[in-house]
Amino acid sequence: MFVTRFLIAAALAAAFCFTSTAAAHGPSPEKSMLRVNITSQAWNFALPWQKMNPSTRRGLGALLSENRVLVTAELAQDASYLELEIASSGRKLVSRVEAVDYELNLATIVPVEDPGDFFAGMVPLEVDTSLKPKAPLTIWQFEANGAPVSSTAELSRADLAPYFLEDTSLLIFQANGAVQYRAGTFTLPVVHEGKLAGMLIRYNSRDQVSDIIPPSIIDRFLKDVETAPYDGVPNFGAKTAQTLDPQLRRLLKIDSLEGGILITSVTPGFSAEKSGLKENDVILEVAGHKIDSRGNYTDPDLGLLSAGHLIRSAPVGGIVKMKIHRDGKPVDVDVKMERRPASDYLVDPYMFDRGPRYLLLGGLLFQELTQPYLQLGGREWRERSPFRLLFARENQEDFLREGRRKLVFLSGVLPSPSIQGYESLRSLIVTKVNDVPVNDIKDLAGAFAAPINGVHKIEFSDFPKLIHVDAAAAEQDNKEFLPARYRINKLQRLE
Amino acid sequence: MRVFAGLKLDKAGKVGALSGKRRRTSSRRSRGGSISLNLQPENATAREMRLCQKLRRCSIRPSLIGPRRNNPIPPQSFMKKHPLSLSLAVLISLTVSLSAQEQTDEATTSLGAQYEGIVNIECNSLEVDYQAPWNPATPGGGTGTGFLIGPNLFLTNAHVVSDASRLVIRKVGDPQPYRAKVKHIAHDCDLALLELTQPVKAFEKVKPLQVGDAVPKLDTTVKVIGFPIGGERITVTRGVVSRVDYQDYSHSGVDQHLAIQIDAAINPGNSGGPVLQGNSVVGVAFQGYSGSVAQNTGYMIPTPVIQRFLKDVEDGSYDRYVDLSIAHFELLNPAQRKALGLPDDSIGVLVANVDAEGSCAGVLKHGDVMLAIDGHAIKSNGMIEIEGEEVEMAEVVERKFSGDKLKLRFWRDKQQQEAEITLKNVEHHLMTATKYEYRPNYVTFAGLVFQPMGAGMMGAHNITNLRTRYFYQYFASDELYKVKPQPVVLTNIMPDSINTHIREYTGQIVDEINGVKIKKLKDVTEALAKDPEGGCITIRLLGEGRPIALDKKEAAAAQQRILKKYLIGEPAFIE
Repeated sequence: MFVTRFLIAAALAAAFCFTSTAAAHGPSPEKSMLRVNITSQAWNFALPWQKMNPSTRRGLGALLSENRVLVTAELAQDASYLELEIASSGRKLVSRVEAVDYELNLATIVPVEDPGDFFAGMVPLEVDTSLKPKAPLTIWQFEANGAPVSSTAELSRADLAPYFLEDTSLLIFQANGAVQYRAGTFTLPVVHEGKLAGMLIRYNSRDQVSDIIPPSIIDRFLKDVETAPYDGVPNFGAKTAQTLDPQLRRLLKIDSLEGGILITSVTPGFSAEKSGLKENDVILEVAGHKIDSRGNYTDPDLGLLSAGHLIRSAPVGGIVKMKIHRDGKPVDVDVKMERRPASDYLVDPYMFDRGPRYLLLGGLLFQELTQPYLQLGGREWRERSPFRLLFARENQEDFLREGRRKLVFLSGVLPSPSIQGYESLRSLIVTKVNDVPVNDIKDLAGAFAAPINGVHKIEFSDFPKLIHVDAAAAEQDNKEFLPARYRINKLQRLE
Repeated sequence: MRVFAGLKLDKAGKVGALSGKRRRTSSRRSRGGSISLNLQPENATAREMRLCQKLRRCSIRPSLIGPRRNNPIPPQSFMKKHPLSLSLAVLISLTVSLSAQEQTDEATTSLGAQYEGIVNIECNSLEVDYQAPWNPATPGGGTGTGFLIGPNLFLTNAHVVSDASRLVIRKVGDPQPYRAKVKHIAHDCDLALLELTQPVKAFEKVKPLQVGDAVPKLDTTVKVIGFPIGGERITVTRGVVSRVDYQDYSHSGVDQHLAIQIDAAINPGNSGGPVLQGNSVVGVAFQGYSGSVAQNTGYMIPTPVIQRFLKDVEDGSYDRYVDLSIAHFELLNPAQRKALGLPDDSIGVLVANVDAEGSCAGVLKHGDVMLAIDGHAIKSNGMIEIEGEEVEMAEVVERKFSGDKLKLRFWRDKQQQEAEITLKNVEHHLMTATKYEYRPNYVTFAGLVFQPMGAGMMGAHNITNLRTRYFYQYFASDELYKVKPQPVVLTNIMPDSINTHIREYTGQIVDEINGVKIKKLKDVTEALAKDPEGGCITIRLLGEGRPIALDKKEAAAAQQRILKKYLIGEPAFIE
């Protein structure tokens, strides 16, 4: 794995090129870039009533108009306290996250109160949306003492790659050139001819290649932030396969055609399915561009690029026209691009800035399943996490079709008097409580309000399938035992 | 008793105990510095390892002592096994000459008549290759111990003589190797009976060892006799009975029976040897932990298991253990008892799962409470009393045979009911068991390799596909055998121009070929033989939207070319 976070990788990079600061009145590192000190505190997904220990990181932000500072979402994740700092003077200003999009890996930071003269003499950056291949780029940093440092790189190619969330691929610019590491930097602003040309998020010191969030994505994000409500990027909701195999092409009866990619599955409730796309459809054209059998099209500016870019760069609510091949016939489909936020998934693919939903009954800890919970299994979580839960995440469609909104499961047990005999239970998917189907944590809370003859009846999809808990005893444990013995006072989070 | 698919049947108490163990090992210090006892997600692999020992060896699992098949690299020094080939011949000749030379010494030191029936067993075996199932098996072998229990009848462990291509018995002080063969073998309880191919004089006057009936008491002294760490001299170690409990029998990977833990040293080569108390055999040494896990813990197969085996084979064949094929849960919570309408008398366990093809199918159902088994009241922790001893309720079933009846008293809809069931064993429980005396089945076509799902195949191909793992783990408990009695997996693709675009699709279950649902391996050959529409063979994998298409004519031509190129002798082997 050569590509690592800039923070680590760049430490090994050899110093290569220094250029001094730009013109006196135009944008420059010291006039257009600020230090951002962020204290992050993630929620504890195993013990959802508490947070993890806070950690403080330092990054760089690009100053934009209206005293907005642009950083990556990765830096701003789970922020509980943040300061903007003027590198030369060390002057600090308490700030807050104004907007954050974890898929786009971008966030804006604004002062909490009137900044007074904090920004006096600073020059905001504009976003350069006309960037072309081979453009010379400048990457800005500060020395530990606040002195500016610049490195240069050349924009080499565009591709689709994950930013911060591993399951989301978006347009990325790659630039060639050595970038030397300076203390206290996390993500770096990239500048072209005095305008913001991207945010550097990864650097491969071996090949001297930088991954940069392109200005088109930044521009889209900023415009979206300015016009409430925030829309984000749409989700397509289909899996595809290449059609390079001539035998497959014959089977699909597309051997006389050119290119095309095969839809292998569509997710219920997502844009593709709602617009009428089906399994076995072959997508031949997207937004007027021919799609080759690898799923790429030729972008007039950026060259060969995945068709995923055409789909995901559409505005939310917009239409993407597609030409598809279905049962031997060409069909035109207008795909209305809708956004499905993380909370719409059966298993939230990510969760920041909030704790997972949970409910304690006696010592039984029920949660809504999230991917961060599964990721507690460590780097090999896809192999190691509880199998039933992993399998549910992989096959969310089956549960969504059953009418579930979220997967409520018993994540573990805090031994207490009312739940004697159940201490070994864990990782069990809840089906019904007191004969009421449980489709999310609110259903669960509602069901617990109505015990049957003073006893809660809890049903799971797996062994032991059925348990009972005395309602009064559990209530007493909730009121006395859990606060006294486990020091838990917040017994649920339903929102 | 059988352990299957994430549940330990007939023995829910053990489920708790095991998960407790897992909890402790998997609880980690979380990033925030707080230690969570059991709220971290459990480690799925821990459970899988029990089911699929070949996939990843569990360090907690007792490793077999003595030779062990299907495991080319012996873990630790815990097995006595020699590599094949020329070195073996040298070793044998060395052994023979040594014992000839020292024969007189042994006669004069007088080992005592009671040890005369204890023999060294040398086994040459074949290790099958699930990765390239067309290959002839790899020769290997090892040594263990056995003992005479009747005229020309030697008892040893199944794992000492499994997959044997050649068996030789050696008597202490006798230079002559005697050819032997397996008479009966029970892989579910790791026992085997051997006989010499031709009875010889040498054993005529040897007094057989007497196998007792009683289970030795805790803290009583026992002697282990055998041929550990090679050598042709008998070795004796001594210790006490440390624990009597149910244990996994690692030979099959899916069975649990009574086993006795002793602290006498048991080492590789001891396997199959007698454990004596006085002059009576109280057990057969069979497995232990490697030193890195636990010290001074060896296990022996106790007399009830041995006697059952000997009785089972009286009719000339071994019929395996029978099973209730249910999962039960302890009834320790007062609210649970109250809701089920049970009196507060600490009797009864909840029936959590009933195997649809097992002994209790149609009689018990999920939500029933088992109250008594053959007249023995079942305590709420799943224990019963037999002859004054507290034992697991499974013990009643352990002593019975296929076709035997069993009386059940149970609680349903707040009423007591009685039923009689006929005990049987269930085929689909064996899917995850390690197979012996078995040649891997397969079908190859146009470079695609199809194999039936099983422990050997899952381990050899290191399958990570979630759906395939799901079928393997939940085959019995989710009744997946009803859909696919013998799931077929596309395990490998031998590279060729015909399959160059589909190589990423291995590790998945084959659902359909040419429109025919694939329920077992035989269906693959039949479906491939069909004349598909448009001359294009279509293979659909379970949960995969991208079909595999193969031009039938081109595939037929490729088939010959691939068989030749990769030295695949037969295109298929189906038993």
